[in-house]
Amino acid sequence: MSQKILFIDVDNCVRCYACEIACRQEHGLTFDTKSRWCQVMAVEPRWAENELHMDFVPTMCFQCDDPICAYFCPVDAISRSEDGIVVVDEDTCVGCKLCIYGCPYGVMFYNEVKGVAGKCDLCTSRIHHGLEPACVQHCIGGALQFVTREELTVLTAQRHTLSVGTVSYASSKWKLTELF
Amino acid sequence: MKDTDNYCVRCGEPFTEHGPLNKILENAGQLNLEKFLERFELCQKCRAQVFAERLIGNRLEKVRGSQHTPKRRRKKLRTIQTDTRVGSTVYKSECFTCNQGCDALVHVKDGKVIRVEGDPSSAVTQGTLCCKGLASKELLYHPDRLVRPLKRVGKRGEGTWQRISWDEALDTITDRFHEIERKYGENSIALATGTNRGWVRYFSRFANAYGKQWIGPGIAQCFYPRMTGEILVLGSNAIENPQYDHTQCMLVWGVNPTNTWPVKGLGMMEARSRGAKMIVVDPVFSEAASKADMWLQIRPGTDAALALGMLHVIIEEELYDKEFVDKWCFGFKDLMGRVERYTTSKVEEITWVPGSKIRMSAVMYATTKPASITQCLSIDQNADTISTSRAIAMLAAITGNIDVPGGNLMSMPMKEHHRSKETLSDYLTKEQHEKRLGSKEYPFLAGEACILQPSAHNHAVWQAILTGKPYPVRAIYCQGSNIIAGYANTRMVIDALRSLDFFAVADFFMTETANVADIVLPVATWMERSSVTHNDQTSINNFHLQQKIAQIGECWSDFKILNELAKKLGFGERMFPDDEAYLDFLLEPSGMTFQEFKKVGVISVPYSFKKYEARGFNTPSRKIQLYDNRLKDLGFDPLPNYREPTESPVSTPELAKEYPLIITTGGRVPVFRHSELRNIQILRELVPELLVSINPKTAEQFGIDDGSPVILESPRGSMDAKAYLTEGIDPRVVQVPSHWGGKNNVNRIMDNESCAPMIGSIQHRCQLCRIRRKG
Repeated sequence: MSQKILFIDVDNCVRCYACEIACRQEHGLTFDTKSRWCQVMAVEPRWAENELHMDFVPTMCFQCDDPICAYFCPVDAISRSEDGIVVVDEDTCVGCKLCIYGCPYGVMFYNEVKGVAGKCDLCTSRIHHGLEPACVQHCIGGALQFVTREELTVLTAQRHTLSVGTVSYASSKWKLTELF
Repeated sequence: MKDTDNYCVRCGEPFTEHGPLNKILENAGQLNLEKFLERFELCQKCRAQVFAERLIGNRLEKVRGSQHTPKRRRKKLRTIQTDTRVGSTVYKSECFTCNQGCDALVHVKDGKVIRVEGDPSSAVTQGTLCCKGLASKELLYHPDRLVRPLKRVGKRGEGTWQRISWDEALDTITDRFHEIERKYGENSIALATGTNRGWVRYFSRFANAYGKQWIGPGIAQCFYPRMTGEILVLGSNAIENPQYDHTQCMLVWGVNPTNTWPVKGLGMMEARSRGAKMIVVDPVFSEAASKADMWLQIRPGTDAALALGMLHVIIEEELYDKEFVDKWCFGFKDLMGRVERYTTSKVEEITWVPGSKIRMSAVMYATTKPASITQCLSIDQNADTISTSRAIAMLAAITGNIDVPGGNLMSMPMKEHHRSKETLSDYLTKEQHEKRLGSKEYPFLAGEACILQPSAHNHAVWQAILTGKPYPVRAIYCQGSNIIAGYANTRMVIDALRSLDFFAVADFFMTETANVADIVLPVATWMERSSVTHNDQTSINNFHLQQKIAQIGECWSDFKILNELAKKLGFGERMFPDDEAYLDFLLEPSGMTFQEFKKVGVISVPYSFKKYEARGFNTPSRKIQLYDNRLKDLGFDPLPNYREPTESPVSTPELAKEYPLIITTGGRVPVFRHSELRNIQILRELVPELLVSINPKTAEQFGIDDGSPVILESPRGSMDAKAYLTEGIDPRVVQVPSHWGGKNNVNRIMDNESCAPMIGSIQHRCQLCRIRRKG
């Protein structure tokens, strides 16, 4: 299966939080789970070249090619599926939280209700059902899109881009910098 | 395994390091984890934040990149279907978490709603739904919902209640109303309403059939002023309905659509992705402003001057649509004379917007065709709201952007009853119009001149309660309004409500307002009722289906409460026997019953343009009224003008010495609807506290740090907040979101006496205050 890419156009994110709540509804992440698999982070107003700028960045698991969380897991509950999605096996997970500590991006969460780790699975069950991921369907600003590699080439033409795992960020404004 | 407490080097919060890190790092040598070491000193939340900040970085290198509108999926419409993933039944309905009305799919399994989603078959929402709507399930099953009628048994406001039956509740209201009417006269009973979720006309019908006056916070200072202004000019609403599909330039005036009107936000962002230009007028650097090609940071309350200044530029540089103006505009010469005094330098002085920006934005709007205007609440809350909205409507008029694709569309002829048949406005007598509180001062709100549904002026009602003048008001029935949170001058409002002889409230929760009532009625949320909805603010050409899916406790729909109360009060025959009879009546002109409509799910009318060509505009001259004799006859200015806010550094320099900051209130956050939804945890965690936006320079002057607790004061009182330091606001201005409760209620410091002429709008956007650190 050719892996689709979660394309995030930061120029279009308006911090409406639709993706966050859609994600929580789709995956049953109640308040008590303390799990926010999808989070919109704000880069607060600041001056650059005599203009004020404010930006928003949706974050979620990038499904890293070489997932660090998997190295941290002592019971091998984390693996990459055929679809290229990093999956946490809830039955194997012992809830030690090492993967949460190990994820440098802060996108792995400990589900306080289930007592296991969890994170974005790109809405695998929705995709198999012919739907888009919940965050993508509900995105009001048009920042999130679920696209093929060919579509991605068109969408990112002449723009600053930065890809991590199956997520690709783009902007026509900021020279998106190295992550570290 | 040993847990060690660490402190995040960025936010200082403690977080737990699990297990022997060094060992893990050794084992994972091939991952080259050294580059992440810095991250391991951060808490989980700060890691995501640092990622975002690093990603954006600080290298601004604009490229002329192609942006693309996302391809939204369109599924075939079925009003009931099955989700085979979990075996849930999926009902098509209409989200009314706010009053907008967005297509939604409700997933039900084993008799319980498990999820609410956007409807991918919807032409309006294109499958999206905002965070408020997506959290509807939490609202539906909230443990604090009112589920049975309650009667007060302790002292007023003490919060001691006894469960009673609906029969007893409605009988009590009826008996008390009859008793008070006998004692104080028929005008001593008033009605109050707020967020109308598709039942505003039905509430009007109830009031008119009953012969009582009503008030609503969303009347004099929301929606009605801008409606009145544009209907005076255009004979129909149009500025309210920007058509984003083909627009090339968007003038977004005092609104942050993705927060307040997600459906409009969707259209706006799609147009922007297509490459449409975007001009945003806002005193605050909002989400919309951050996406704009041009941001006009205006002094709060000076919108009319800016609009007149833009008109001046467009007329002076002859950028208006001459052919259209000659044929369709009445009074152009008069307008030309009026705007003469609004030169860019003069307007810069009033509005603080640089003259060059005023000129550039006026030229951009007038020369990029087609261009649309998006407006909202903020222009309804200044010192002359009708002038403001008239001036803005004239921008669209003289540039020929009315009722053209990509401009602002006039209301569509829908298959519906004439409004008077729906609201029974013909029942109103001349005497009732005259007796309505505020009718003399504010004829477009409370008098016969009112273009929409006439209602009493809130300040006049509080005065009638407190002083008995011009006649006593002793009882109120309030449906769907948290009056204490919503109206300016909280102290006066609370005093008035507490001194009533009888007060009944219908709501979802025990709000601050319900807490001082005698009888409290439990109301159904949108998933617990059926309806047929049509809201111009969402889409001007669709009727939508709302179908009942759940029942919580003994909650009744708003329609049912009004029907049953009318029966008890003795005018049941003027309402409808039940909800469905009313919905059948609404659908009559379309030739469908509600049961038939349930199978169809939506009635759409194709867009039509230039509707005025057939019979002209719906105004006395059949043209667009730039000059208005009706206003002249009523003793008002026939042309739009700028009126300085009653309190400002210009109009009250003495007061400004003591209260040096301009306070603008009412800016919305995406997660709350007015006073509602603060008890929905997954939403509240996104905006946990009330934050007052203040410029770092001002904050420094007053010894305030980011996050410090502050007190804001005005001659009316004081309130608490937390400081949010941002470059996105002028140092002379503070911005406070409205509708928070208790000591966070901004209305504690707002004046309700000095109102806009003609319609009585409270100047929520432009008063004076001072700020200091708490403690």
